[in-house]
Amino acid sequence: MNSIGTIALLTLREAVRRRIVAACAAITIGLVCLSAWGFDRLSHNAGITSGEVNAAIPQALILFMFMFSFVVALSASAMAAPAVSAEVESGVLLSVLARPIRRSEVLVGKWLGLATVIFAYSAIVSGLEVGVVDWVSGFVPPNPIVVGLYLFAEGAILLTLTLLLSTRLSAIATGVVAIALFGAAWLAGVVGSLGTTFKISSLKTIGEVARYILPTDGLSRGAIYYLEPQSFVTQRLAESQSGGGGNPFFALAPPTWAYLIWVCVWFLAILSAGLVSFERREL
Amino acid sequence: MDTIFAIASIKEREATVTPSPAVHTIELRKEYRGTEALRGLSMTVARGEVFGFLGPNGAGKTTAVKLLLGLVRPSGGEAMVLGAPAGDRETRRRIGYLPELFRFQAWLTAVEVLLLHCRLIGLSRVRTEREIDAALHTVGLAERRDDKVGTFSKGMQQRLGLGVALLGEPELVILDEPTSALDPVGRHDVRAIIRAVRDRGATVFLNTHLLEEAEHVCDRVTVIDRGRSIATGALADLLGATSSVRLKVSGLRDCWWKGFDEFGYFVQEGGWLVAAHIEPRRIPELVTAIVNLGGKIEAVVPEHQSLEDRFLELLGKL
Repeated sequence: MNSIGTIALLTLREAVRRRIVAACAAITIGLVCLSAWGFDRLSHNAGITSGEVNAAIPQALILFMFMFSFVVALSASAMAAPAVSAEVESGVLLSVLARPIRRSEVLVGKWLGLATVIFAYSAIVSGLEVGVVDWVSGFVPPNPIVVGLYLFAEGAILLTLTLLLSTRLSAIATGVVAIALFGAAWLAGVVGSLGTTFKISSLKTIGEVARYILPTDGLSRGAIYYLEPQSFVTQRLAESQSGGGGNPFFALAPPTWAYLIWVCVWFLAILSAGLVSFERREL
Repeated sequence: MDTIFAIASIKEREATVTPSPAVHTIELRKEYRGTEALRGLSMTVARGEVFGFLGPNGAGKTTAVKLLLGLVRPSGGEAMVLGAPAGDRETRRRIGYLPELFRFQAWLTAVEVLLLHCRLIGLSRVRTEREIDAALHTVGLAERRDDKVGTFSKGMQQRLGLGVALLGEPELVILDEPTSALDPVGRHDVRAIIRAVRDRGATVFLNTHLLEEAEHVCDRVTVIDRGRSIATGALADLLGATSSVRLKVSGLRDCWWKGFDEFGYFVQEGGWLVAAHIEPRRIPELVTAIVNLGGKIEAVVPEHQSLEDRFLELLGKL
């Protein structure tokens, strides 16, 4: 096995041994069960018409998936924040980097290990939640696999940024900054939607620029779009020409290919910056 | 013409056969944000020797070690390790390193830590098993092999660190304060391990501020202070520069040594008379002079200056 694989496996093992995986699994199972109960109540409530149920279930599913995307983002930040800085401070990396291994191999190995955890979590949580909603209410979103991929991409983007920060800042500072940036990006998305609704170009610009600076919100909107039934989108379009009315849990269109290419460029640029930063770090 | 070629060929062979020094630095410097941690360190460590790198805390010892391993970049000067520029990736395969302040992954077992490092070195599966067993046995952790490192005391972690540094039979073993967390038994064990490493032909670079350590195992030492080498040489040479001799003399009046100032400085310590700062070659002359004076020599015990005294003297603290 090469050095990258060795570090990736070590990182995976750490996530399992430190009970990060177990904690995420426990809380997710609890939340999925809770959502199953909620969807069941919603679907079988005599006081609500079937039309209202059909409109409410996708919205509720979007809310739950948003919560899971928040868990993915938090997990990515929490796992990546100490990945470099804490190991430098404690001296764990001293003995590792004295071996015939490149620093880039260590960082890429860590990214791979953590990304595997996030990918597995995104896939499982998407599958579970969509499965539960289908089982309870019969609603299946248009493209659940793409939803899982967007969820993973959002986590992977934040993971990459957090790893870059971790090469320079302490673990706590890294975690705080990464979560704050994630929150700011989400808020900027809401501000942008409000700008679109009320035709305030400066607010609209803030939202659009933020989507390019940190693409987590843009990707989150992608996941939301593929959770919405087409009828839902058409109805919303007919109701409002304003593009979502400032609702952060609604998307009129999927991310464009140009935007997805930008996300790839962003990812490569931030990963490269992390590699250069770690390479230059004095231990 | 043939002879010229033959001589050239021998020289070439000698050049390839004679190994480069284990460590060679020329005016090595390191500056951290305006503070000079190392100011032109020049030293040579021969293959197969136990080399003591001594100095007070903050002298720049750990910085020098990190430079040799490529963990930090030099601000100036040159450093070659095992014939390659310091930090060379392939050369690091032949180096074992025990850091001063370190921790292993607390959630791994001792065997898993060793296995990780065997993989990073690139040892074969068969050799990995053999090396892990040997390392655990050598550092006395065979019975704790499957225990999590997080449950280990600091001393046990240091033992494990030493085991990790010995994996793959490295040609150069760099030990940065290897006994700082060990009890006397552990220190004794480490000395035995260092001697065993030297006996198999490897070089040991021992970074320590514990002089007793260096006195026990080092062939040569360099003393550094404030980032600069202030003395280098074999221990005997370093300590032989000045010495003292303890004498037990009877049959003479009190303070008979008053006229012997030319030999050194005399101090009465209990029943002994200590002649300090005496040149070793003058000891027989002193004994003869005492006998000529009518004294009866009961004991003569030459004493080298302790490394600690010499160390303090070099640092200008004595």
